[in-house]
Amino acid sequence: MSRPSASASTSSSSRSSRSRYGKEVKELQDALNQNKIESKRDAIRKIIDAMTRGKDVSMLFPDVAKNMETSNLELKKLVYLYIINYAKIMPDLAVMAVNSFRKDARDKTNPFLRALAIRTMGCIRVKLITEYLLDPLKESIKDEDSYVRKTAAICISKLYDVSPELIEEQGLLKLLENLLNDGNAMVVANAVCALLIVQESKGTTMLQLNPYTIQKILTAMNECNEWGVIYCLDALAMYIPEDGKEAEAILERVSPRLNHNNPGVVLSACKIMMKFLDYLQNPETIRQNALKMTAPLISLLSLGKEPEIQYVALKNINLIIQKRPIIIEKDIKVFFCNFNDPIYIKLQKLEVLSKLANNDNIQQILHELKEYTQEVDVEFVRKSVRTIGRCAIKLEKAAEKCVTALWECLKTKVNYVVMESIIVIRDIFRKYPRKYEMILKDLCENLKSLEDPEAKASMIWIIGEYVDTIENADSLLANFSENFKDEPANVQHQILVAVMKLFLQRPNDGKELIHNLLKTATIECENPDLRDRAYIYWRMLSTDPELAKKIVFTERPTISDSSYTIENELLDKLIENIGNLSSVYTKKPESFVKKLRDVLNSKIADKIDDVYDQDQLMEGKPEDYSDQQGGQSTVYENNYDTSSQIQSQIQQSQIQQVSQKIDLLELDDNQPQQQQQQQPQIQTQIQTQIPTQSIQNIRIPFAEVLTANTPGSQTQVQGLSIETAFQKNGDKIVLDLKITNKTQDKTFSDFGIKFNKNPFKLQPDTIEIQCQPVFPGQTQIAQSLINTNGPAFEEPPQMPYKIQVALKTNLDVFYFFIPMSLSVLFSSTASITQQKFIELSQAQNIARKQEVLQIQIDPQRMKERLERNYFFLIGVRKDERGVELLSYAASLVNGMPLLVNVIHTPTAINLQLQVPHPTLMPLLYQAIGFILTLN
Amino acid sequence: MFSQIFILSPRGDTIINRDFRSDLPKSTPETFFRQAKTYSGDANPLFAVDCIQFAHIKRGGLYIVGTSRFNLQPAMSLELLDRLAKEIKDFCGVINEEVLRKNFILIYEILDESFDFGYPQLMATEQIKPLIVNDPIQPQPDSVMNSLRPKIQTFNIFVPNTIGSQAVQRSVLNKNQANEIFVDIYEKLNVLFNSSAYVINQSIEGCIQMTSFLQGNPPLKLALNDDLQIGRQQGQYSAGVILDDCNFHECVNANELDMNKTLRIQPPDGQFVVMNYRISGDYSAPFRLFPIIEEISSSKIEVTIKLKACFDAKILASYANVRIPIPKQTANAYPELLKNAQQETAEYDSNKKIVEWQIKKLQGGQERSLKIKLTLQATQTAHTARKEIGPIAMNFEIPMFNVSRLQIKYLRIEERGNTTNPHRWVRYITQSSSYVCRI
Repeated sequence: MSRPSASASTSSSSRSSRSRYGKEVKELQDALNQNKIESKRDAIRKIIDAMTRGKDVSMLFPDVAKNMETSNLELKKLVYLYIINYAKIMPDLAVMAVNSFRKDARDKTNPFLRALAIRTMGCIRVKLITEYLLDPLKESIKDEDSYVRKTAAICISKLYDVSPELIEEQGLLKLLENLLNDGNAMVVANAVCALLIVQESKGTTMLQLNPYTIQKILTAMNECNEWGVIYCLDALAMYIPEDGKEAEAILERVSPRLNHNNPGVVLSACKIMMKFLDYLQNPETIRQNALKMTAPLISLLSLGKEPEIQYVALKNINLIIQKRPIIIEKDIKVFFCNFNDPIYIKLQKLEVLSKLANNDNIQQILHELKEYTQEVDVEFVRKSVRTIGRCAIKLEKAAEKCVTALWECLKTKVNYVVMESIIVIRDIFRKYPRKYEMILKDLCENLKSLEDPEAKASMIWIIGEYVDTIENADSLLANFSENFKDEPANVQHQILVAVMKLFLQRPNDGKELIHNLLKTATIECENPDLRDRAYIYWRMLSTDPELAKKIVFTERPTISDSSYTIENELLDKLIENIGNLSSVYTKKPESFVKKLRDVLNSKIADKIDDVYDQDQLMEGKPEDYSDQQGGQSTVYENNYDTSSQIQSQIQQSQIQQVSQKIDLLELDDNQPQQQQQQQPQIQTQIQTQIPTQSIQNIRIPFAEVLTANTPGSQTQVQGLSIETAFQKNGDKIVLDLKITNKTQDKTFSDFGIKFNKNPFKLQPDTIEIQCQPVFPGQTQIAQSLINTNGPAFEEPPQMPYKIQVALKTNLDVFYFFIPMSLSVLFSSTASITQQKFIELSQAQNIARKQEVLQIQIDPQRMKERLERNYFFLIGVRKDERGVELLSYAASLVNGMPLLVNVIHTPTAINLQLQVPHPTLMPLLYQAIGFILTLN
Repeated sequence: MFSQIFILSPRGDTIINRDFRSDLPKSTPETFFRQAKTYSGDANPLFAVDCIQFAHIKRGGLYIVGTSRFNLQPAMSLELLDRLAKEIKDFCGVINEEVLRKNFILIYEILDESFDFGYPQLMATEQIKPLIVNDPIQPQPDSVMNSLRPKIQTFNIFVPNTIGSQAVQRSVLNKNQANEIFVDIYEKLNVLFNSSAYVINQSIEGCIQMTSFLQGNPPLKLALNDDLQIGRQQGQYSAGVILDDCNFHECVNANELDMNKTLRIQPPDGQFVVMNYRISGDYSAPFRLFPIIEEISSSKIEVTIKLKACFDAKILASYANVRIPIPKQTANAYPELLKNAQQETAEYDSNKKIVEWQIKKLQGGQERSLKIKLTLQATQTAHTARKEIGPIAMNFEIPMFNVSRLQIKYLRIEERGNTTNPHRWVRYITQSSSYVCRI
């Protein structure tokens, strides 16, 4: 019936077919104008046939409408059918038909003719015509024939849809209410139905429910047909009974409807039952009434019903048993899956079974579920495995049986069964930590076939959780980490967490792994969540590994089966909608009905839509919030982005090109002058900075140099953990120590420290460390001042540069290495002049190297940081393209000069390093990295 | 309720299109058909596109669709469409594309009486019969369309495609018809055996269905077994027929059922279900399966299945089919029947990895057996593969037999002074619903 397609087909068709079409129309016109009823009838049949198939036959409207006043009922019906279809697009012509309708509606002899006219008039959805309809409609409401009255009732609701104002003005709604008192049940049912329609579109109560009208409806319900029963039941469901007595009385009348064979009636009756049970007080009456629903609900699942009805029934049963479990307690067998059930029925049955499971029937249910896990349908099998897991979580007493069943699933080695089992076991491990370690071995045998990311993530989580029990956890995790970059986000997260757990529990096994992983996660991963987490872990490890341990191994909130249930408020709302779509979708009706109103630009724009707007506002809030979060996370990124991205990557860099053009070795004449002019400024700058320098030096992160399980050298005492770092503090070097006592019963005190011989002759000022005794579980911070007057050591420093240290305590002596950064050893006074710089850079015995530091940093910030940490700016050059080359110099505490040329680009920093000894190269590179990234 | 009801041909052409509320776009049939075609098998009966709810059923290859934009009642909607299909069938005799195209005016009439503004009004055939003015047009008996028409969808409750009934393809509007009534007792069996032929779970879903062509719709009295009992008490044992639950058509007055075991019926025209019932108790299963699996070698398995018909020798099952799923890693399978086997076939479908064993006509008390020799691919051993065999499912139909022993004692026409004695046809049919043996 779509006009556009019809016109399109005519326009696109050839001329001959158009003329044939024209000819057909002509023939039909002729036939309509003949006197013979048969020829007219056949012509209209053809027209309606064409109309149904989407052809445009509207041009025949005048010819067809002429035949309205026939006495032949068959012809009349056909004409009406035509008019209903085209009246809307030809309202002017439709008005012509009005008189005929009015005449028919007042026909004295035939009630069917009157009803037909009323019904058809209501279908012409043209405002203009509505006005002509009102009088005949008012008469028909009082018609002596019930068939006409019932048609009139619905007609009012139809017209309300077209012009609500007119209907209200004319008091037709009042007349409709009066129809509730009609003697004929069908009329009452239709009046109820019409009032509900108006109520729905108007948004205010139309059907006044009080004990009187309730009685009317209840009486009518006994006599009208099944559809009428549904209207009545739906109306009753809206009633709020005054007390338990009334509710009980109504239930008494409603409950026989449960035995109807129309599932619509059964579900509508259940809706009232469920709602009114809340008003009853006596537990025994509640029980009896609730149990009345059992058999009818189960009968809806009979295979005699279409699977679709079964599906709706299952969805509703699922809701009903959440509210009142007593209704279906014993009959679990009906929810066992038949092999020929469609998959959606099977899945829904599993859902119900998991709700019905209790300690008495679990054996039976488990037995059945185990059978299902051997079926062919993958989706069904997976859901069956998942259901076993849910039973385990729900029923603590039966958990062991469920775990045994899952264990068997693992042993099948069927890929998808194993994967699903792993996911489920993860939840079980969360619920019952450390209880079922016996299956770990079988779990770990299934690492190869984990294609499903969730299964993989679950497996990794399990390994991480039992990192102390699974001996080869480190190699397992190392395997998983190999493809870290290609994994989906959830797997990456789990790898990160698991490796973190590994490192915290078994530092020696996980050290390398966590290091590499954090590097990869921070440098190469694009997922901000993952990166942030890696940064957080990194920082936690560098500041306080103990705290990190506490955080990572924190007690998790327990999980329970209630996570699968619907919260009470929504449940009550859904119970009110038993039998409706929202109970199947488990969504509130507003969520899928109102949108359409917007789409169709409905005219009902009053209160309901206001509420809807408010809803939108409410929905808006989380978005705003997420914006804030977004903002926060960018702040984090700004902070984190500057972190160390140390990557020794030797490449032909920009610096070379620049230095070829502006050759530092053969300076032009005027350039030194420029630079000399600049230098005093810089020096003043430095001087102004000096007073604040003491707090502006970078903080080297603590490193755990002694772990609690490293025994002392003499009495093998364990339990002392030390984290330490050399720091530059103004022009002093200090050693910060964090001493933690992890024993249960020992107290450490009387600390002393001594360094082994080392390249820069470092040694503590005093051997004793000023520190309080450290009691069990406590942590103390101590500091030791360092000077460079120690015994000489001929070897140049190696990367990594570490200093061996002996720590004396009251109980034992511990030996360990402390990592050292070159940045600590820079001299705080500027000793290299520009002249010296040029000389040095020309020297023969100097090592040179190009390096790239992959970090993003603001150029001003870079300069400031370098200068703050005793790199002194010697000169600045620009080539013709505007590329700026900065020359810096620093000297070490022993007077060794270090020269650095820097070109800043938005994505990286190009460095040209010149040092007197090649072994210093990586140390200098590392030191610049620290300076630019640490705070 | 429904905004529109339309009926589409299997190719998506609109045969009937009735718009009740004009609140949805005209293009919904196309929207529906496009969406329905996206499903691999049959489309979901309920789905939504852009907040338009579509409910549909498929009959005779045709889509009968209702649309709505409200929170409609799915169970009721599907029931309505089903009733509509029944009405159309009552009036036209059959549902197929040709008949509907020929009778589209009549169907519009039926629609207009059945629905007003999309709300169901009168949906009983005998109620709208006086309001219908068009006569049905019967299709040409030997037209090409008719012979090509798709088989009636097995979507319906009970598939009447094995036993011909005169009642099936007749219109209620046919004035010169015989004065007769058909009563069918259908029972569908659900049985689950374990590998040692022990019954784990069983139930019966049954119904009494009538197709009435009685003139003047006289009231009927239907008497059932004397030992009938409704509602099962816990742990109760009784020799009689115990129904767990039953429900009735609205034309049935069941007040006397408890006392006299009789139902009073005011029969409408055409087909209707008098009573649905459900039995969960023990009954003797009509067929028993005895599967034996032997590992001949690491790559060979032999499956032997014995089938025993455990009912009276006077009764004949019209067919019995057995489906045996075999391991996915099967290289080849050779089903072997007994040498004296008659009217039996056994085929191996290598794509689905299923052996289908079909037996036509099986007399009560007889035993049949089938041996399947399986050769496995090298990748799997017999020991692990044997777990993939099964479960064995059976399909059968046994006419003139019912397991529950629910019986019609008599069907009386309660009209005094009625000289003509209408024909009463009573049939019993037992079918399998889910008849499965686990291995």
